[in-house]
Amino acid sequence: MASGMQEKQYTPSLLSFFIYNPKFGPREGEEEKKILFYHPIEIEKNEKIRNVGLCEAIVQFTRTFSPTNPAKSLHTQKNRQFFHEAEENYWMVMVVRNPMVEKPNKDGKPPTVEYQEEEIIVSNLFNGTFSRAFEAGGVELLTQKLEKFFYRYLQTLHLQSCDLLDVFGGISFFPLDKMTYLKIQSFVNRVEESLSLVKYTAFLYNDQLIWSGLEQDDMRILYKYLTTSLFPRHSEPELAGRDSPLRPEVAGNLLHYGRFLTGPANLKDPDAKFRFPRIFVNTEDSYEELHLIVYKAMTAAVCFMVNAAVDLNREFCEQLDSLVGPQLTLLASDICEQFNINRRISGPEKEPQFKFIYFNHMNLAEKSTIHMRKTASVSLTSVHPDLMKILGDINCDFARVNEDEEIIVKAMTDYWVVGKKSDQRELYVILNQKNANLIEVNEEVKRLCATQFNNIFFLD
Amino acid sequence: MESHRDPLCDINRTSRRLVIFHLLWPRRTSVDALGLAYMNEEIMSESWRQHRKHVFVLSEAGKPIYSRYGNEEALSSTMGVMMALVSFVQAGGNMIQSIFSDEHTVVFLQKGPLVFVSVSATRQSEQQLRRELLHVYHQIVSMLTQASINRIFERRKNFDLRRLLFGSEKVLDGLLDVMDSDPSFMLSAVQCLPLPSSSRDALSHILQKAITPDLVFSFLIANNRLVSVVQEKTVLEDARLKPSDLHLLFNLIRASAFQAGEIWMPICLPLFNHDCYFYAYVAYLDPPECTVCLVLLSTDKEAFYAVAECKRKIEEAFASQNALQWVANTQLYYVDDISVANLRHFLYKPSKVLDHHRHPEMEVGYRSQEERIRLLDPYRNMHNRIHSTSRPLKLIYHSAGKETLLAWVTSKFEMFACFTPLVTKKSAISELTKLLRWIKKEEDRLFICHLPKYSTAPQPGRSSTDRGSSARPNTSDTGLLSLL
Repeated sequence: MASGMQEKQYTPSLLSFFIYNPKFGPREGEEEKKILFYHPIEIEKNEKIRNVGLCEAIVQFTRTFSPTNPAKSLHTQKNRQFFHEAEENYWMVMVVRNPMVEKPNKDGKPPTVEYQEEEIIVSNLFNGTFSRAFEAGGVELLTQKLEKFFYRYLQTLHLQSCDLLDVFGGISFFPLDKMTYLKIQSFVNRVEESLSLVKYTAFLYNDQLIWSGLEQDDMRILYKYLTTSLFPRHSEPELAGRDSPLRPEVAGNLLHYGRFLTGPANLKDPDAKFRFPRIFVNTEDSYEELHLIVYKAMTAAVCFMVNAAVDLNREFCEQLDSLVGPQLTLLASDICEQFNINRRISGPEKEPQFKFIYFNHMNLAEKSTIHMRKTASVSLTSVHPDLMKILGDINCDFARVNEDEEIIVKAMTDYWVVGKKSDQRELYVILNQKNANLIEVNEEVKRLCATQFNNIFFLD
Repeated sequence: MESHRDPLCDINRTSRRLVIFHLLWPRRTSVDALGLAYMNEEIMSESWRQHRKHVFVLSEAGKPIYSRYGNEEALSSTMGVMMALVSFVQAGGNMIQSIFSDEHTVVFLQKGPLVFVSVSATRQSEQQLRRELLHVYHQIVSMLTQASINRIFERRKNFDLRRLLFGSEKVLDGLLDVMDSDPSFMLSAVQCLPLPSSSRDALSHILQKAITPDLVFSFLIANNRLVSVVQEKTVLEDARLKPSDLHLLFNLIRASAFQAGEIWMPICLPLFNHDCYFYAYVAYLDPPECTVCLVLLSTDKEAFYAVAECKRKIEEAFASQNALQWVANTQLYYVDDISVANLRHFLYKPSKVLDHHRHPEMEVGYRSQEERIRLLDPYRNMHNRIHSTSRPLKLIYHSAGKETLLAWVTSKFEMFACFTPLVTKKSAISELTKLLRWIKKEEDRLFICHLPKYSTAPQPGRSSTDRGSSARPNTSDTGLLSLL
């Protein structure tokens, strides 16, 4: 065809997302009852029913061959559907459009990325188990809750920027010296003692975790929520100028910079209503419902979790504010000072010598020198996306066996990618050394491990 | 121009010794017994579920045609579901490709009126599984021709293709088994028997001399490896004989499980020309061991006696030169020959484009058959990664618990190697270099480097292009009509 025609490039994007439970509408004519949530809402009812029907059929079909491990995803030419049985009989399905390059006469470049399925698990944090909610208020309540939650959550999904870090779902830890760490520890202890209602605490600085009293899996989800939803929503006011109208909350309080991110926006206003979001943790065994209080001062944020049965009133908030505010402000500036001192010692930030990603499955710690900026909507990496996908491939290969392995790969562009898995830790290094051979690459990686990962990875 | 042969007509027109393949009832061997056991296996039972790879073939109307395990008739409702899934997605202007679950990958392929489904726990990639399904399709085409299949279903959507494939389940079973155990399919190559080039040339010479009009190819195969191939000069100027077609041919021969005597059967080579039959004369030159097989392909259905005469000439020449000894004496190399202590196994395929795209491959292993089959899994995984359409690679070095694996693709060759798990990178590289040097030295002996040609009576033929999609109506009025 004419070469003047433009190539349109489509990135992967969310086509639809729905939740259904086949038990709710088992008979003919009742199919609509199965659907608990469907996005986009504009889709015609019959089509919704058909789509749900297809999912059910596919799951049933795969059960023929493996009753306990039914389908996880369906690939068609134009899109991919992912199935996740969140709980027994509650199915979540996400339909994503394949990335394609549309040329004048033909389209459909093969989908280039093995998607990491989105962390739909986050929803469990906020909705508890569906069956509980169902018992509580029947189907209508459940559908309402789902609608409210997912409507907002889906907006935070940005599929085109997902990569290996999302697969790990790790937590970025903030590196601290011993003294400051101890100060934070004692602060947390003091607060927990004074405010006996507080069950769990988590301390973050600069979007990175320092300390948490929650179970790892719960913390992982909470961390994701904080960094992708809550913090971004509230970051603007702080960055605004002193006289900006966006800063009403901080006005009037000269003692400290603390404020509530969840709960009362302005303590001075006695009539303002507020409530804290509720979260559900330990859903596997003890199943607790908690209020989530997030309190922030400058770049330090503390999460307090209180049993949901307790009614948190204004008095409590004021108490918390006066107790925590000043201390947190002090701490925040302490940490900042320490951080600056350390940076001065280690030298100005330059292009990191080694490009790598490190993840430790045991404590969920992640570290990346490849990502210059990673938020929910943007993933700025200093390497080509194809290389990131190669990392994903290696990760897939590692996941097949539970042994320590090493995979070294030379890409078509002559970049070398080295993946090492040892004892629950994974390290991926990207080297741009076009004329190196295998032995030389090996030596380079040895050097990296010696400096940054002493004694962690076995090498030959 | 009678380019479309109805196989049903062929049955009526057979000569006494013509054996149409789908009427051939092979002799019982132990493989057959197992095949029967699978046919009667109870579907949905635990053992049925646990097979590593199921393959189903059905028609667009949802009618069952073939199932690797279990009786396909009993599976008709499951096949109906498969067809329903395909149609449902199709109705939305889309095409179903695959379904993934933790343990299985389900891959769909539709070719014309036939639908192929693979349910596999082997962790192969979608592309690899789809290629296997394509081979199954081609094997069916090799027995019926694509034109016939399309025509039959055009007339009757509900046609039960099993009527025409009666007795040939063993062919498909055999193909699936060999695909799971032979790396030739993964590499798209054919294994050659190592022979000093002088011996090979002498053998080719014998084949070249024993020709008759309309004879197009002559093959000599020993122990499932190619010894020699010669082809008619003019017919194949711009056409190619693909390794895939050769595999189908070998499989048909294997599955027919005959020993003494000779076979004359129609065979379509799908990648060469998917609408026409060749006629293959097959005989073993060394009964009763039956390791050396002669295959002569002709385009003339009635040429049985002429071709049999060629075989006689070849036999005579072999006897006078004691040629069978050369084949018997050939040493299959083993890794120990090359003195590389850590190397356990390798696959090597040169990418030189030879005269007619013969793709030889060599494989070496001192390990048992089971080990070699087990190695196929990681080899296939690396092959998939290194030849990825979106992010291909040049080299993979994978150090794992059981062994260290290497995959390497250059413009000159493609190679997969397996070392002991504790080998250091230095040793691996040095042994690899030794190996490559050895291969280079022995190249003449290991691979078929060129394809000798002959010409039959002068016939200015036009070759057919495979994939007749750009079908120029080639109505050449020579005896090569049947190839168009």
